[in-house]
Amino acid sequence: MAIRRIYLDHAATTPVRTEVREAMLPFLGEEAFGNPSSGHHFGRAARAGLEAARKRIADALGAQVREIFFTSGGTEADNQAILGCVIAHHGTDLSKAHIVTSPIEHKAVLGALHEAQRMGARATMLGVDANGVVDLDALAELLEGRGERGKPCVVSVMWVNNETGVIQPVTRIAELCRAAGVPFHTDAVQAFGKLPVHLGGLPGVTMCSISAHKIGGPKGVGAIFVRDGKGVASLLHGGGQQRGLRPGTENVPGAVALGRAAELAAKEQPATARALGAIRDAAQAALAQRLPDLVVHSAGTERGPNILNVSAPDTDSETMLMHLDLAGLACSSGSACSTGSVRPSHVLSAMGVAEPVAVAAVRLSFGSLSSPDQVPHIAETYAAVVAKVRQLRAVLART
Amino acid sequence: MGAMVKAAVGQRPAASGHQRAAEGRVLVAMSGGVDSSVAAALLVEQGWEVVGATMRLFCYGDGPVPDRPCCSLDSIHDARAVADRLGVPHYVLNLEDRFGRDVVADFVAEYARGRTPIPCVRCNSFTKFTDLLAHADALGCDAIATGHYAQASGGALWRGCDRAKDQSYFLWGIRREVVARMVTPVGGLTKAETRAAARRHGLATAEKPESQEICFVPDGDYVAVLERHLGEEAAALAPGPLVTTSGDVIGQHAGFARYTVGQRRGLPGGRSRPLHVVAIRPDTREVVVGEADKLLSWSLGLEAVNWLDEPLGPGAACEVQVRHRAAAVPAVVAFASEDRLDLRLLEPARAVAPGQSGVLYRDARVLGGGVIG
Repeated sequence: MAIRRIYLDHAATTPVRTEVREAMLPFLGEEAFGNPSSGHHFGRAARAGLEAARKRIADALGAQVREIFFTSGGTEADNQAILGCVIAHHGTDLSKAHIVTSPIEHKAVLGALHEAQRMGARATMLGVDANGVVDLDALAELLEGRGERGKPCVVSVMWVNNETGVIQPVTRIAELCRAAGVPFHTDAVQAFGKLPVHLGGLPGVTMCSISAHKIGGPKGVGAIFVRDGKGVASLLHGGGQQRGLRPGTENVPGAVALGRAAELAAKEQPATARALGAIRDAAQAALAQRLPDLVVHSAGTERGPNILNVSAPDTDSETMLMHLDLAGLACSSGSACSTGSVRPSHVLSAMGVAEPVAVAAVRLSFGSLSSPDQVPHIAETYAAVVAKVRQLRAVLART
Repeated sequence: MGAMVKAAVGQRPAASGHQRAAEGRVLVAMSGGVDSSVAAALLVEQGWEVVGATMRLFCYGDGPVPDRPCCSLDSIHDARAVADRLGVPHYVLNLEDRFGRDVVADFVAEYARGRTPIPCVRCNSFTKFTDLLAHADALGCDAIATGHYAQASGGALWRGCDRAKDQSYFLWGIRREVVARMVTPVGGLTKAETRAAARRHGLATAEKPESQEICFVPDGDYVAVLERHLGEEAAALAPGPLVTTSGDVIGQHAGFARYTVGQRRGLPGGRSRPLHVVAIRPDTREVVVGEADKLLSWSLGLEAVNWLDEPLGPGAACEVQVRHRAAAVPAVVAFASEDRLDLRLLEPARAVAPGQSGVLYRDARVLGGGVIG
């Protein structure tokens, strides 16, 4: 019996769009395979594609060409922003470095933060409310720099959270940071293509990370926006590519793909947001109708249109995900942890979600493979899986 | 090796074709080792709809030696790699709390009582064939498979064909009705055949070395596990007298939990005939030592008896195996009640240790078993 498979994990990754694949192809073949640093004909062809892609990304973000640097993806962009900024300000002695971020950041930011701490930097975590929105008053106070740790050298707050979809007050944070003269990095990996991301209108955003594979591009390529192309130290050392900030022969097909995907994402953003928002809201309503005790995380505030994070009490996400997969629904528990760990998500914990509820969280994320007609099947299947998992827990509780 | 054991070598269950025909969906417990990898591969080959599951049973990084392979995620990665290769789904089931409760806590409590437990028996009885089975039921699985060298056939359990690898000794505690749902794909193979099958299927685990130790005991140092759970001050780990069978104190030991009946290591030497532990008396912390002849038993009492065949009554004959590697000896039932069984042995058994299992066989068939009292 063939089961109906529905992909509900677009926040993890997306299929490569046809337009993107076609844009890449010339750079994978004999036409434009050259090294963009080469001065000859072949190099020029590759360089033309690379720089056209950079222009497309700059346009999509409302940025300048010299402000866009290609990376291997979102993780590298986040590391580049935080570590690059800290090192640019403090050199090799990070004992005076102070980083401000939030406890709901992606592991790429938190991992970079831990590395900076290991090298001596200090960190302050902004509090978040029950919806996962950061505390702006606390940020304003920290930016005054009167605390023992001094003024931060970088603030990093994600635009849209990857687990719950909660939108952070990026505009306000950017204003506060700008007024204080403190660099502000935002991880826009989940926001780009779902919300308007116009960095030209947000002078307080000094760095911004994006990734190709969340917007219909291939895995392994991303970009960092660096305001004026200045203020961050390079983390990799080698040739002079990308003005030395990010040396290494550029991933030309990847860059071209990101350029095309970014162009499409920005152009289609309003329609994408409307369509996915409608599907997400319908799915939320259908699930809540079948499961009256369903908890919807970050429901009390603005969320990106594509993410629905729910907990059915008396279930656990690992068992849920296994049963959902066998029933044809490909979801995730928010932060991809495939190792059977029962630790609740760091995001939900920071929001103060009670552990039994947090460990039941399942993220459904919508995108190019979603359509409104999937919603009834999703709700029916999901409710059936919840019933099955609850029954299993009852059986196990008896032994 | 007794005649009866020899008869069992290479024996297959009476019911011919011990491998069940494919009958739907099967949950395969995949440890990341070669045996369960091959079990999964053979079931796919036979046409089963295979779902692979790796049980997460303990610490994984919280323990004192986080990088040890069994205590890391390597086993999960290996199992997943095999499942991916076979094109079957694979999941991780977190049974840590239940394993801690049913297996590790019992392991510690038994040593504290001066006994020598077999956690693998508890794991099979509770974790694998109760908890994992509940998951299998919830997943709509018709059967549950493992990489054990034992053969389930027609609702009965038999020794593995490879007598050197036979693991039926650890499986006596499974509920009888569960045996009918067990599939044992490697039970009819020798270890060499299993490895050959792994290579034939291109499985990453084909050359993986054998793991003989208890999965949650790093480097075989079970005393360290006891120290962690009981505290170093515990009676079982505190010094006590070494006494002979006639009651003479001949020295001190460093904690009776460090000893097992039959053990020679850690006892005073320099005698014409070596000393062995012949008994442990937790109440007085005495470890009783004697010469080899004091280790022979002509009777045996079993507790927590479980039957995988019709229960035996007084006068019934069978064979009993008292250690994993020991040969089974002929026995006659002297007393039988709901959960207790006393056996008279027709040949003496050596080093019968309370807490180990006494497993009852008739030829290669497992009749049942119990914990030696």
